[in-house]
Amino acid sequence: MSRRNELKSRIEAIIERFDKGEQVDPAHRDELIEDLATWQACGIPEYGRLQRDDDWPAALPTDVFRFRRIAAHPVEEDVRVFLSSGTTSSERSVHAYRDLSLYDLAARAAARRMLFPDVGEIRLVVLAPHEGDAPESSLEYMLARFAQWFGTECTWAWRHGQLDLDRLTDALRRAESAGVPIALLGTSFAFVHAEDGLGPRRFALAPGSRVMQTGGYKGRSRAVDPEVLLEAIGHRYGIPAPFIINEFGATELSSQFYETTLRECIEGQPGPRRLWVPPWVRATPVDPDTLRPVAGETVGILRIDDTANLDSVCCIQTADLAKRVEDGIVVLGRAHGATPRGCSLAADQAMGAR
Amino acid sequence: MTDDPAVIRGRASALLGAGRALRAASTAERAVWLAQAAADLRRSARQAVQELSDATGLSVPMVDWATRTTLDTIDERSLLDLATKACPRREQALAPISMLAVVLAGNVFTASARSIFVALLLGAPVLVKASSKELAFPAMTKDALRAASPALGTAMDTVTFRGGDVDCEAALVERAEAVSVYGSDDTVAAMASRVGPDSLIAHGHGVSVAYCGASAQSESQRSETIAGLSLDICAYDQRGCLSPQLVFVETSAKQSAEDFAFQLAEQGLAPMDRTLPRGPVPTSVGAEQAQWRGVAEVEGTLIRGRSYGIAVRSAESIRWSPGYRNVTVVPVRTIDEAFDAMTPMGASLKCVGADPASISEVRARLGESLALSAYSCPIGSMQTPALDAPADGFPIWHGLLSPQEAAPRRR
Repeated sequence: MSRRNELKSRIEAIIERFDKGEQVDPAHRDELIEDLATWQACGIPEYGRLQRDDDWPAALPTDVFRFRRIAAHPVEEDVRVFLSSGTTSSERSVHAYRDLSLYDLAARAAARRMLFPDVGEIRLVVLAPHEGDAPESSLEYMLARFAQWFGTECTWAWRHGQLDLDRLTDALRRAESAGVPIALLGTSFAFVHAEDGLGPRRFALAPGSRVMQTGGYKGRSRAVDPEVLLEAIGHRYGIPAPFIINEFGATELSSQFYETTLRECIEGQPGPRRLWVPPWVRATPVDPDTLRPVAGETVGILRIDDTANLDSVCCIQTADLAKRVEDGIVVLGRAHGATPRGCSLAADQAMGAR
Repeated sequence: MTDDPAVIRGRASALLGAGRALRAASTAERAVWLAQAAADLRRSARQAVQELSDATGLSVPMVDWATRTTLDTIDERSLLDLATKACPRREQALAPISMLAVVLAGNVFTASARSIFVALLLGAPVLVKASSKELAFPAMTKDALRAASPALGTAMDTVTFRGGDVDCEAALVERAEAVSVYGSDDTVAAMASRVGPDSLIAHGHGVSVAYCGASAQSESQRSETIAGLSLDICAYDQRGCLSPQLVFVETSAKQSAEDFAFQLAEQGLAPMDRTLPRGPVPTSVGAEQAQWRGVAEVEGTLIRGRSYGIAVRSAESIRWSPGYRNVTVVPVRTIDEAFDAMTPMGASLKCVGADPASISEVRARLGESLALSAYSCPIGSMQTPALDAPADGFPIWHGLLSPQEAAPRRR
């Protein structure tokens, strides 16, 4: 067995053990992260150039995915390439996959645990393009898999590059009439567009209905305070706040985090709203200067070691601000633009002139 | 605490009235008062150095250095020289504008000094919109002016309000004859739409660079070059538009850019951490720093110290850092290559620091350039502009004087 396949088997074993309800020993995960990082540093020159800390493997900044191909395999072996949103090539992260089986395994196990813990299948309404219309989007890929794995039926309320309010309304009214719960899945900006477009239309969806929203706004809609959007969604669709959860994912990652409230509400053990981190992932707020873990609930920048990133780089340094809350984390948003530079030049502005 | 539009209008009105008393004094009298105020401000800033450090996020030694080097340039002689340059004897007299409004940014806390002192010297009262992040220094300035002379003290006032407050912005500028704006290009554009281009003195986004010719790296010059560059990089923790982001280094068979970068790290930036320590990096900046450093390490060479990062990259792959002592050394074979890289920066390039042997050549090329309006100065003085140093391609008194047929002026 090749080293790659041996590592892949170990990753699969951890995820499958978790999916069966068994405990995953963090020490096994950490050992796997070390082994993955060592193997990836040999096969990916860009990653190999990073100096490792005494105790931790080096973490590759997400920005590198914008400028370099980060993959342990040649381009001919790509089965899928995901791109982040953006308008120019230098703004878009590129994540090439040789094999999507780990992605699928991780996505299915995480969603089953946190988004659909009480149902095997449910009617889905998606506020996002179909995978066929956005093949470069990892989110659309994941939502299409959800339709296969968890959907009794699925309505894609998106047409010609925008939210299809009539189709959305129709799907929601049908669910209302039938009295069956649904899962509304989409980006935050799509939910804002729905708020802006639906006007006085309100819905009383059946108990058990839920919302998964993800991502920021990136200029695609007006930005809305998360608390305000949460309240608006609850009011619009008649869904209680714990059943409205955020998913945290990124083009550079193969695993997703979910907010805890839905599962905890179902279990009758409500706790603070925070992101659950799958046990095959290590998420650590780190000090921006030393890149070492911060203490307690101190805000740091989020490092994510995602073992499902087999053929790229497992250890990723994001630009997101985050803090620990109990056993999870809270992401406080992206740091861009927060720099009090006054008259200093914004990087992209200057480079754009070149 | 923020001010509402009524308060801002009241202060503007009072300043317009105070302008008459200010202009009744001669330029020489105003120069004496202002020099006295600068000295007094220096003393009060020294006493309040911890408060200023807390407010600005700069270390105590850095605050002390910044106030000293800024205020020491303001003395009676330099003020009178500046007034003479601004108002040379000629047929058409110049009169000060009725009032200047200044919108300050929070990145370089002493930036307000030149704006305020020069306007008052020329007889224009000043209404300052202070950054909500840093109110202490403008308040100390006001106290120092008041102590030096009632005519000065009543001719400068401060207001503060949340950025983007349309009503407050309107109140700030509606009676000002000119508005000087420091800040992002968005801030400048917002103000331009309010007052029109003729009344706007814009200090928008900008960067600066340094140029080190081969002789600056010679055995005899290297220490001086590195000391000067390190000061330029570390001053104000590289937060301002006069901070060099890029250092163009003329390389040769004897001296590589990597060698120079290592020397800059070991002999320049590392010791600076003891003499002028960096303030804490805000987490949001730290996130950008981590990305910038990581990309530099992946794509080229990164030298990382406790409080600094030096990337070595070609001119084709420059990436701007978030400041806070993260600088790029760019190898070039000739000064032509350096200017090829600078030219696309256009009006955003504010200052080019150069070694003594290169400065005349740099100055000449900047003078010839149609795209660039930056000024040049010796390495080691990029962050300590003289009182009369130009700003954004214009004299520092730009916009503060207007022609008048027979304006009465006393000298």
